[in-house]
Formats: sequence, structure tokens, C-alpha cells
Amino acid sequence: MENDAFAAFYERSARPLWAYLARVSTDPALAEDLMQESYVRFLCAAGAPSLADEGEAAARLYLFRIATNLLRDHWRRLRAASIEEIPEELFAVQGRFAQSDSQILLGPALDRMKPRERQLLWLAYAEGYSHREIAEVTGLAAASIRLLLFRSRRKIAGFLRAQAAPVGREP
Amino acid sequence: MMPRNCPHEKEIRELIESGQWPLAAAPELRAHVSACRACSDLALVSETFRQARAETLAEARLVSPGVLLWRAQLRRRNAAVERLTRPLLGAQIFALAVTLLAGVGFAAFEARHGVAWLTWLEQLPQGAGRWDNFFSASLAGSAFTWMVLFPFFATLVLLGGVAVYMVMDRR
Repeated sequence: MENDAFAAFYERSARPLWAYLARVSTDPALAEDLMQESYVRFLCAAGAPSLADEGEAAARLYLFRIATNLLRDHWRRLRAASIEEIPEELFAVQGRFAQSDSQILLGPALDRMKPRERQLLWLAYAEGYSHREIAEVTGLAAASIRLLLFRSRRKIAGFLRAQAAPVGREP
Repeated sequence: MMPRNCPHEKEIRELIESGQWPLAAAPELRAHVSACRACSDLALVSETFRQARAETLAEARLVSPGVLLWRAQLRRRNAAVERLTRPLLGAQIFALAVTLLAGVGFAAFEARHGVAWLTWLEQLPQGAGRWDNFFSASLAGSAFTWMVLFPFFATLVLLGGVAVYMVMDRR
């Protein structure tokens, strides 16, 4: 891949990728590391889609897939480690996002969701990916995405309403 | 819980994606959303995630694409070096195996034809002062045996050291 083409692709795709990783992992520092590793693997991968031939959308999907696999590996390593070996900070909510209205509402709701649910919701409602694209990124069966997404959406909508309710009652 | 699709979901999704929800929506559609659970979930979740995405994108701290290109280049080079050195390692292991085989063959040959040092080894526990006997027997029996044995053991020690080094270096 030519340097200029990569720089342009990076400029357009890096922020959405970081946002996805940061929101799903709830750890901005981890998101930064995983994002860089995703791009390096993308550049080294022999089977990565070419920007010129297959287009930016295919390259972006491939990049999100690499990032998703890295996240999964990270969680697997955490699970494999003994509970005594995991630093205490990891149990706390790690997000240090700006406290805007939507973040105040969405942050706690996302923290109560499972990582897989956070992935599906972000890809569908923040990135606007179709069920087929989500299946490609996550490696799940396309047929099960609809049901999983429906359940996740209902669950987080419940959390969002529950959080918004006390605020709404105030004068 | 089975997903129940509402025919208005597509329309609502399009309005949200174009940023026209709820202002440009027909009053009937807004009334429907407030009554339909699936559509109200969709509107709430989509709006919240889209707003959170816009805010999260601004928080990303990106490294220069040049750094990623350099890291990828370095990784590709390391992989190429590893691919090149793999046959060399194989050749080294093969050479070691052949040498050891030759050594074992030589020892077997010596044992079959009877050498003074074997006799001396058998008599070793029986008393002290056998070294002199062995030395004199070796010299008397075959000076050639000594000339071969010493380089043989020296080679074994040397190759053992190389093997240990290779294992440590590999780790």
C-alpha cells in the first residue's frame, strides 16, 4: 500500500476505530494500543483488501475485524490469568471520557452490558453497519445477529430509560 | 424473546441517519414511536449512540501514520529474517544429529573391537591406581585410540555448548 493512500485511509478510519475500541473496552488507553496494533497487522497482512481494488469499505471492515479479534484476545488473556494477578484498577470502570449529556447517559448503561452486546450495539447504531457487515466483523453467524441485536437494544433501552427517568422528574 | 419488526423502523432509521429526526418526522410517525416499543427503542438507542459517537471521535489522540508504516515495515523485515534463518537452524540441527550419530557409531565400533579404556572402566571400582594401567595399556595397545578419543570428547563438549546456546538464543 502506498504511503499517501494509507495516510488518507488512516485519517478517515482511525477515529471511528478508536471510538469503537474505547467504547467497547471502556478503556481509552487500551483502545489506543489496540488501534495501533490493528493498523500494523493490517499493513502486514497478506490477505488485507486493497484500497484501490476492493475499496475503502472493505478495508475498513477488515480493520474492524482485526480490532475485534485483538479485543477478544485481550479478554481471553484476562480470563486466563489468575484473579490475584489482575490489577485492581481493571475491575473499576476505566472510561475517562468527557462528561457530556450523552456520555453521562450512555456510559453507565454500556458498563452494564456484556462486551459482546457493546460490540453489536456500537457497530449497528454508531457505525451503522448492516447485519451482514456485523457478522463479518464479529465472526458471528449472520442469522443470529438480528436476534442478539434485538435483545441488546431492548436491554440498553431499558437502562437508558431508567437512568433518564429521575432526571426527567426534577423540576 | 423473539424480535418483532415494525414496518416503520426503516423510515425512522433513515430519518435518524439523515439527522432529521424528530423535527422532520410526520406527527403520526412521532405518535407511533411513542406507542410502539420497538420503534421507541430504536429511536432512543440510535440517537444516543450517534451522539456518543460524534463526541467520542473528537477525543481520539492519533499517532502519525508514518509511525505505523515504520512499525509495519520493521515487523515485515523481522518476519523475513526469521523465514531466512529457519533453514539455517534446520541445517545446524541436522549437522548436530549427524555428528552425534557418528560419535555413537564410533563408540559402538570401539566397544565391539575392544579397547583398553573400556577394560579400564570395567575395573575402575575394583581399586585405585588403574589410571596408570590404563595409560600404559592405551599407549602399549593403541596410541591411535587416544588420538581419536580426545578430539571426540572435545567435539562432543563443543557441540553440547553450541546446542545449549542455540536453545537459549531461540528462547
